[in-house]
Amino acid sequence: MSAPSRWKYFADGIIKENPVLILMIGLCPTLATSVSARDALGMAAAVTFVLIGSNVVVSLIRKVVPGSVRIPIFIIIISTFVTIIDYVLQAYQPALYRVLGVFVPLIVVNCIILGRAEAFAYGHGVFDSLLDALGKSAGYALVMLVMGSVREIFAAGTWFGYAVTPAWFRAAPVLFMIFPPGAFFLIGILKGIVNRLTAGRV
Amino acid sequence: MLQSKTWMVLSLVLTCIVAAIALSQVYGVTKPLIDSQAADALKASLSEVLPGAADFSELEPGTVWSATDAAGNRIGIVFKSTPRGYGGPITVVVGVDTTGRIAGLGIGADMKETPGLGLRAREAWFLDQFRGRTESEVTMKRDNGTLDAISAATITSRAVANGVREGMADYIHYLTSK
Repeated sequence: MSAPSRWKYFADGIIKENPVLILMIGLCPTLATSVSARDALGMAAAVTFVLIGSNVVVSLIRKVVPGSVRIPIFIIIISTFVTIIDYVLQAYQPALYRVLGVFVPLIVVNCIILGRAEAFAYGHGVFDSLLDALGKSAGYALVMLVMGSVREIFAAGTWFGYAVTPAWFRAAPVLFMIFPPGAFFLIGILKGIVNRLTAGRV
Repeated sequence: MLQSKTWMVLSLVLTCIVAAIALSQVYGVTKPLIDSQAADALKASLSEVLPGAADFSELEPGTVWSATDAAGNRIGIVFKSTPRGYGGPITVVVGVDTTGRIAGLGIGADMKETPGLGLRAREAWFLDQFRGRTESEVTMKRDNGTLDAISAATITSRAVANGVREGMADYIHYLTSK
């Protein structure tokens, strides 16, 4: 396959097939963990690791996996990677783990991972699957960064923990944005913007 | 072969075996680190509420510790209490000096109170007002006590005070025994 069409596997994940805003999968952890820019990026990093691992392994063994039991096998692979990142975060990044702790096991049921294993990695080569994982992760990280930043700036007046708004704003911030309704509100606006930008082309 | 029933079963078994081996390897490497992280975090949370404490010995597993300073003198006890707040249990860590007064108060990071309301129980002004008080003084102003509650978070404020008071009632005898 030619180079430009391979590049597509990566680039599509960012806007055209953005896992959150276009494919609309994995919304629950997205809404739950995007309360601050730092937490959001931490979650995106954990998802990236699991998605790359699962896509590559699924692609490697796709020819010997019987179709009838492929889903249980995918789940075992995904949960193994999730447990590995759970241990590694606890051991080497305890501060990040304290924030992400409850959400890490939820990556197992994050539809982005199983969705890509089933829809892409099971039918494509290792390199293409790696590109797909990187692209979808980049798209996920982008949405997480935007949501985490907006919610943190509105609800706490800070960005990555640094004060970026005047003191009077931080004294009475828009708390609404840190609550679940704020997350739905924001993802609705983002979805609207993306629909407008991609109108007729997706 | 690849579509046979035998391979269907075998492929699942093999996947599980490989996954189990990989996990046990990672677990073996990270377990000691995770344990030492947990021990450090516990010690840090205990020292925070009892200034000057250098060493802790457990009196009741995971609940009460006896604290000594660097010279080995008994300087008080630290206990953990988990009152029920608005969003779930709140872990309260309390340091009590040898005179039976509160030396410091900490709130576990796992608390699930409402951000901006109950979550403000972690703020210094709220926790600092417990310092120097004895068991009978730990009550909210609106319950005819002396402490300021967090506005719009009475349930959380009361829960913290109750946790402190009940813990002191249960564990203060350790100050005199041993």
